[in-house]
Amino acid sequence: MSVLGLDTITFRYPSASADALAGVTLDVEAGETCWLYGAPGAGASTLLMVAAGLAPRFTGGSLSGQVRILGVDPVEESTRHDLRGQVAWIGTASDIQFSQVAETVREEIAFGPANLGQPMSRIDAAVGEALERLGIGHLAHRSPAALSGGEQQRVVMASMLAMSPALWLLDEPDAALDSAGKEIMARVLREEAGRGSAVVIATGDADAMLGRAGRIVLLDRGTIAFDGPPRQLLADELAWSRGPGGTSVAELARAAARLNPDPRLMAPYPLDFDEAMARWKP
Amino acid sequence: MEAVSSPPLRMEQVRFRYPGAAAPVLHDLSFTAEAGEGVAIFGRNGAGKTTLLRLAMGLLRGAEGTIMLSGRTAADALPEDLAHLAGFLFQHPETQLFERTVAAEVAFGPRCLGWDAARIDSAVSDALQEAGLEAVRNDHPWDLPGPHRRLVALAAVIASSPPLLLLDEPTAGVDRATRARVRDVVRRRLEAGVAVVAVTHDGEFALEALDRGLMLDGGRIAADAPVAGLLGAPGTPALPASAAIARGLGLDLARPRFDAVVAGLASHWPICA
Repeated sequence: MSVLGLDTITFRYPSASADALAGVTLDVEAGETCWLYGAPGAGASTLLMVAAGLAPRFTGGSLSGQVRILGVDPVEESTRHDLRGQVAWIGTASDIQFSQVAETVREEIAFGPANLGQPMSRIDAAVGEALERLGIGHLAHRSPAALSGGEQQRVVMASMLAMSPALWLLDEPDAALDSAGKEIMARVLREEAGRGSAVVIATGDADAMLGRAGRIVLLDRGTIAFDGPPRQLLADELAWSRGPGGTSVAELARAAARLNPDPRLMAPYPLDFDEAMARWKP
Repeated sequence: MEAVSSPPLRMEQVRFRYPGAAAPVLHDLSFTAEAGEGVAIFGRNGAGKTTLLRLAMGLLRGAEGTIMLSGRTAADALPEDLAHLAGFLFQHPETQLFERTVAAEVAFGPRCLGWDAARIDSAVSDALQEAGLEAVRNDHPWDLPGPHRRLVALAAVIASSPPLLLLDEPTAGVDRATRARVRDVVRRRLEAGVAVVAVTHDGEFALEALDRGLMLDGGRIAADAPVAGLLGAPGTPALPASAAIARGLGLDLARPRFDAVVAGLASHWPICA
């Protein structure tokens, strides 16, 4: 079942001289994880905002093509209401996403389901579960504003989780997290895909995608340059010619191959420590 | 008048508790960042890393102990009194961008310090060049992609050439090219004698740009060691894969920075034409 469908989407910001997205067609199914990979300005963040119905609604600009979430148009004023609680968009500045009315983390997480009119018992259960799954139970009575950046990121995630969205749209969700936080985030997103949500994650960090499921969509100046398995792209020259490059280990091999064209250093490049050691220290 | 020999940042026996919090977030914390020294602050989310930076900049008040910026006490100072002594890069650069063009944003600090027009122009040009932003100097900061907005904030911070840079997660959420740019800016500032204190979860950036690592745990400095020796310890970022590979292959490198590993790897096998 298609959760997110983009059909020949072209979007241009107001007063921009080029399209941020130029004819993008993309379908993300229930249970699927899709990585949007690209250099700054490639269009990944813009694609998330268009999919969430935030652009052009809050940014201005012109949009053509068709967006569908669960068959509903999130752009159109008359239908977007039907998607309440279904779409979890998290931008890069998580601290500006708080309700600003909650005094505690628990209240912050309850804000979404309460606004959906859910009964108290169900809200309590959803909040408790979200706190636990993100490992932030110890923060429940703290003020969201007084938390660290990494803690806030997890609270924002928990407040979306409490609404059981069908679609996650995440812009660099790992950015402020320590390694324990990154693992928790990865696990929660894996579980979300497992229960049938579609997960779309924008990243410029090739290493973040390794060891995690999903397909990778490489964006280059607003168009899709590749759509397939991450390992295939990240070992290929295409990752450099049309994107921000491969993994750090692939980058290492590629740079060394320029100094020494030994076959052990040439493409397809090893992607991580284990692959590199298997090839270089058999 | 600041004594010439005063270090850019000195913290002594600093203790801080947020209002209403049960326990202090920092206990008796002491360290000094000397001129030209690059210090990485590691620690789990909520360990007090950002608090430390905010106290140093005078953005948080009410700490016990001594906080001195180039010999000036931070405790009784307003942020504007400290503006020429330290530059602060926020975790979310969006927090600090408010001008209509990139150039105006970068000029804001020098302008507030009362510099004359020629000096401002030259400082802005230098900072934009260093951050690789000349081509977008007339763009609106909010029209740039997120990683480049971070570079705008960084350029604005370095434009007034403070002797201390306090950077909160300077490479969070940026791509490889932007990260290399941030690294180069930090390296160049360190060479110029600036002290850099950076909170980071990015082991690669810490290894590439900084020298000394402090690990915060339970509000105290749990470890103070060269970055390369600290990475991979509990509560610190993982050792970057390139450094781990250098170790695994037995490449004998004094500092396993990326370029050194590339050279070591290339010469690991005979070069065939």
